[in-house]
Amino acid sequence: MKPRTPFRLLLGPQRPVVNLGKAMTAAGVGDGRIAVISAAWQEAEGDIDDIRALVDNELFDLPLYRRAEALFAADKPIHEAYRNRQDQLIEQQNMYRLRLRQLTIAAREILRAEGSAAAIAEERRHAISQLCALDRHHLRQINKIYERFAEFFNTDRSGILAEHIAAIRQDLDGADTVLITGGNVVVLMNRLQLFGLGQALARMNIVGWSAGAMVLCDRIVLFHDRMPQGRRDPEVLCNGLGLVPGTVLLPNAKNRLRTRETVRSSLFSRRFAPATCLTLDNESVLLMEDHKVRDSESVRHIARDGKFERVKLA
Amino acid sequence: MTPALRKLLRKSAPEAPDIDAFISENEFPLVEGTDVTFVYRGAADSVNLRCWISGLDTAQPFQALAGSDLWATTIELPKGSRIEYKFEVTHQGKKNLILDPLNKVIAHDPFGANSVCQGFGYERPEWATHDPLSRLGTVEDRQFHSKAFQGQRGIQVYLPATFRENRRYPLLIVHDGGDYLRYADLKLVLDNLTHRLEIPSMIVALTQSPDRLKEYAGNDRHAQFLVDDLLPFMTAEYPLMDSVDSRCVMGASFGGVAALHAAWRYPDHFGSLLLQSGSFAFSDLGRHSRGPVFDPVVRFMNEFREHPGRPADRIFMSCGVYESLIYENRSLVPHLQSKGVDLRFEEARDAHNWENWRDRLRVGLSWLMPGPAWLVYE
Repeated sequence: MKPRTPFRLLLGPQRPVVNLGKAMTAAGVGDGRIAVISAAWQEAEGDIDDIRALVDNELFDLPLYRRAEALFAADKPIHEAYRNRQDQLIEQQNMYRLRLRQLTIAAREILRAEGSAAAIAEERRHAISQLCALDRHHLRQINKIYERFAEFFNTDRSGILAEHIAAIRQDLDGADTVLITGGNVVVLMNRLQLFGLGQALARMNIVGWSAGAMVLCDRIVLFHDRMPQGRRDPEVLCNGLGLVPGTVLLPNAKNRLRTRETVRSSLFSRRFAPATCLTLDNESVLLMEDHKVRDSESVRHIARDGKFERVKLA
Repeated sequence: MTPALRKLLRKSAPEAPDIDAFISENEFPLVEGTDVTFVYRGAADSVNLRCWISGLDTAQPFQALAGSDLWATTIELPKGSRIEYKFEVTHQGKKNLILDPLNKVIAHDPFGANSVCQGFGYERPEWATHDPLSRLGTVEDRQFHSKAFQGQRGIQVYLPATFRENRRYPLLIVHDGGDYLRYADLKLVLDNLTHRLEIPSMIVALTQSPDRLKEYAGNDRHAQFLVDDLLPFMTAEYPLMDSVDSRCVMGASFGGVAALHAAWRYPDHFGSLLLQSGSFAFSDLGRHSRGPVFDPVVRFMNEFREHPGRPADRIFMSCGVYESLIYENRSLVPHLQSKGVDLRFEEARDAHNWENWRDRLRVGLSWLMPGPAWLVYE
């Protein structure tokens, strides 16, 4: 019998309705041990009693946030380099945002434009391709910053980092499934990246909600149309772990996106194509195996025309 | 005349049942586009609308309608306006200032209550209403000795719902904190904005002066109280972030003066200020005309305008366009900007009252102390 390939069970926010336990049962998560990554909760990492109450499996905390804090306290050069890297990432993100703003305004205007169909179609394609080119350029710049960091600070240079990584891998060996919670997606991705967990997680079953699902995509896209200071244009943050390829996941889209503004949504969809933009709202369930969708309760994808449509099962 | 009234007055002298029906079929005041008609029913020699709005006559007379006991007056109110008012009813030579008996919408303040007219296009912000999903913070009473005032002082301290001893929080100091809680729903607003991640979880020190017109009027002792008494107390008792930019002071009216004065007296102590309808009276020449209680304010503001320094890196100011202080507030904006302060100023079609200040809290607090909404996907 062919062994079951690792599944990815992706959920939306766990408030107001909690569907974690029910979704795990429905997805056939076995009774093995589950490692919980809650680094996105920062200082509250490890407060997983609420999750214990929902799941029958034995859970254990896989502390990445605390390990990173301990690493920084013990290895000053790595901490200094990390801070320096973060400063560079912020600077790069700010420059990207400046350029993005102008291109996005132009692209939206052109999507709204009326006139000769052929001319407009060409301009639309070009406007969107410019946005895509900027996103690609930004990712290249971000990756260069990560690479520079990795070149100087790796397990060969930091014994303490090597010890932490070995301990994490040992913990992971004792788990069948990893559960990654929602929370601060930047903090979560930084910790996963710092301890090089991409490969280790690839072979495991993963349950992730909200930020915990976003980090599994090829690219992490930040979005929020309802900020107090007004709408913000979606931004590519960095590469994700690439464990749910071909998707951009949008947790809590119902509340964060102005879903009726079809020009905005259409641009969102076309800018990130060929990836599929999928919503993960409260009570949503997206079960993927072999890169195919096995269940998609309450999940919508943004169509090219900006409408939100049901996801068909493979 | 409004369509509703016109319909009533199709008969030359409407009878009591017609008026009863008119009253029960409509909500008052009658808001019909930008026309707002206030209606009073009862025996009276005269009726006036009193709404303390800069730009309108202090008393707007009502007209008695067609020999009935119905009185009405119509004013034009631009879109999005909100005003507070009372009726001044004179009957048998006796004047009474009363709430509008036909309007249930009331706003409270330390002096009592006013009726509220929500003009066309105004809505109470959704984030300032009860959200069953918001987790509730707590408010506790604390006492400490003040060297500045040589005696015990009481404050209230708001702790966010997710408060943990092992975390560090930004600090917001609120003048007239008790009034903000009572009349501007500050706790509800903090709970909601924190829940929405639009502001960070923060600790809020709510001060309430026993003599605000003296202590908030550009008073050095009060500034000393904030810096030498309150800050050390809060730092010793609560897990606060240690940076200047994590400290914000706010206040409305005289409380705005107190916040600006403290930050000016003690630069580099507060990273940001939220100043609502600040009583920033000044005189370019000669005496001011706002009464003796403003004397120390004007002394401070004149000195401040001469030597503004840089009281904080970021300042959010708001003021109602229907209050006389709009002039002073507007004139302060270029002054502060010229000193490199990152300043945002918002005007509202409202007046000098707590609900105006409530309605500006979201944009002000989230701009000065942005929350993690952009990065957090719970």
